[in-house]
Amino acid sequence: MTASNANGARARLGGLLGRGSDRPPRYSAGALARKGLTGEAWPRVWQDHDLKKTYDVIIIGAGVHGLATAYYLATNHGITNVAVLDKGYVGGGGSGRNTAIVRSNYLTPEGVAFYDRSLDLYNSMAADLNINVMFSERGHMTLAHTDSALRTMHWRAEVNKLQGINSSVIDPDEVKGLAPSLDTTSHPRYPILGALYHPPGGIIRHDAVNWGYARGADHLGVEIHQKTEVYDILVRGGELAEGKGAGGKVTGVRTNRGDISAPIVVNCTAGWGSLISAMAGVRLPITTHPLEAAVTEPVKVFLPTVVVSGSLHVYVSQTDRGELVFGASVDPLNTYSMRGSLSFTEELAGHILELMPSVSKMRLLRQWAGLCDMTPDYSPIMGFTPVEGHLTDVGWGTYGFKAGPVSGETMAECIATNTTPKLIEPFKLERFNDGTLVGEKGAAAVGH
Amino acid sequence: MLLVPCPHCGPRNQSDLRLVGESHSRPDPNTATREEWGSYLYLRDNPADWLTETWYCRAGCRQFFKLERNTATNEFRNPPMPGDKIGIAPYTTIDVGSSGNQAGANVDGGATFTRRMDGGEK
Repeated sequence: MTASNANGARARLGGLLGRGSDRPPRYSAGALARKGLTGEAWPRVWQDHDLKKTYDVIIIGAGVHGLATAYYLATNHGITNVAVLDKGYVGGGGSGRNTAIVRSNYLTPEGVAFYDRSLDLYNSMAADLNINVMFSERGHMTLAHTDSALRTMHWRAEVNKLQGINSSVIDPDEVKGLAPSLDTTSHPRYPILGALYHPPGGIIRHDAVNWGYARGADHLGVEIHQKTEVYDILVRGGELAEGKGAGGKVTGVRTNRGDISAPIVVNCTAGWGSLISAMAGVRLPITTHPLEAAVTEPVKVFLPTVVVSGSLHVYVSQTDRGELVFGASVDPLNTYSMRGSLSFTEELAGHILELMPSVSKMRLLRQWAGLCDMTPDYSPIMGFTPVEGHLTDVGWGTYGFKAGPVSGETMAECIATNTTPKLIEPFKLERFNDGTLVGEKGAAAVGH
Repeated sequence: MLLVPCPHCGPRNQSDLRLVGESHSRPDPNTATREEWGSYLYLRDNPADWLTETWYCRAGCRQFFKLERNTATNEFRNPPMPGDKIGIAPYTTIDVGSSGNQAGANVDGGATFTRRMDGGEK
């Protein structure tokens, strides 16, 4: 914690002095004016490299989790001989498909502590990474449509207050005051009875977060390899065939660009998390489900907060461009197919119109899906596995993006110190054998 | 929305059925170790490939049965037809053509219909 604060302070100091020797050429108003006038090209944000034969750490998945882990390994722990591999491109999976909402009003003390640290890191990210992540702290409202939902909101608010999180239950009049377009009358099938209001929540530009971490990590010596697909994880001495499985030790990975050796291979993928760990002989309690989202044409700003409805399975926010971004809960069918479906659009539209009848004339621009690795307790699987040298940061379900920075920070600590940090202790893989599951379903199943 | 080939009702809308999950057998709770029980409850293969799953036709015949689906493309293959062996654990299979109680028979026990093990119909 202190190390990263020191880094943040150094970055800000560097910004004030107009230089920073350990950073890439800075983005600033001055640089924009200079390059705008002279036509000078901007330097590449990150470089392509040839694949080396050996690395200290290999991270699979160049999304926000993988890149943040690489970045904090370099900044907080000085480990820079790191390769981040991705079969696609930087931020092309869940990191670029989510609805970019961040919040920390979870239900369990474990969840709250964890996401609050993440929100801290998001808050100072623009200065730390010298990139405009367009963080808009606009408030986050989770609507309650039934008495039992309202009771859960009160429960969450009290858990949050104990942890020092700004979170409270508001009545329908206050909801109307914050978002006048919501129908707070008693007419709808699911009337709005109140809401959990969380002012520090908001939205952020997810691509900029990916690019910022990629740029920062690249400049510190981390190599980012796109279009590099991992075919196999090489393990020796385990109990299963080819030496894989419990008791084994990681020796490297096999990719479409050849074999690489490394003592540590970290799985930071979403959607394919269980397939990657299966390559090392580790079975995970994960099923893969698609989550669909959609965006409308842009209109004038009328929705100032993020609105979430658990009962209606929908969450909505308005981007700076004026588009409404909708998300839903995961599809009940486990599949790796990311095709959109008409039934989703139909259901979504019905629910949105129940919340906001005034948007009935708006048109959807497009819809898409991302893959979510769902675990039985809606909590991630982080840290060590029975295979020595194989670590996981997977199973993030529907809310991996908002945990990206803190996951990177804690995974980096886990790798560098070879011990499990306290913050991620509850998320260890053994909890499924020990029966110590984390009861986060009440706040994470839909509520973004 | 998928069209799911129910062996009794024919192709049905996905919303008429419930996907129970990957088909696997339950270890004996009296002798299973903690790891075996944890694996049974939570661990899944989750392949991006053909997978044998248990479905429940909740709005139609209300029977449990297995189907093979490709989780990458959502195609079904070799859907069972009426008269095929379709029994699954913890449900046992009953061969209506033979006499005698076959409760406890395994899933390949030559059956045409599925009944609960504790059910009265034999």
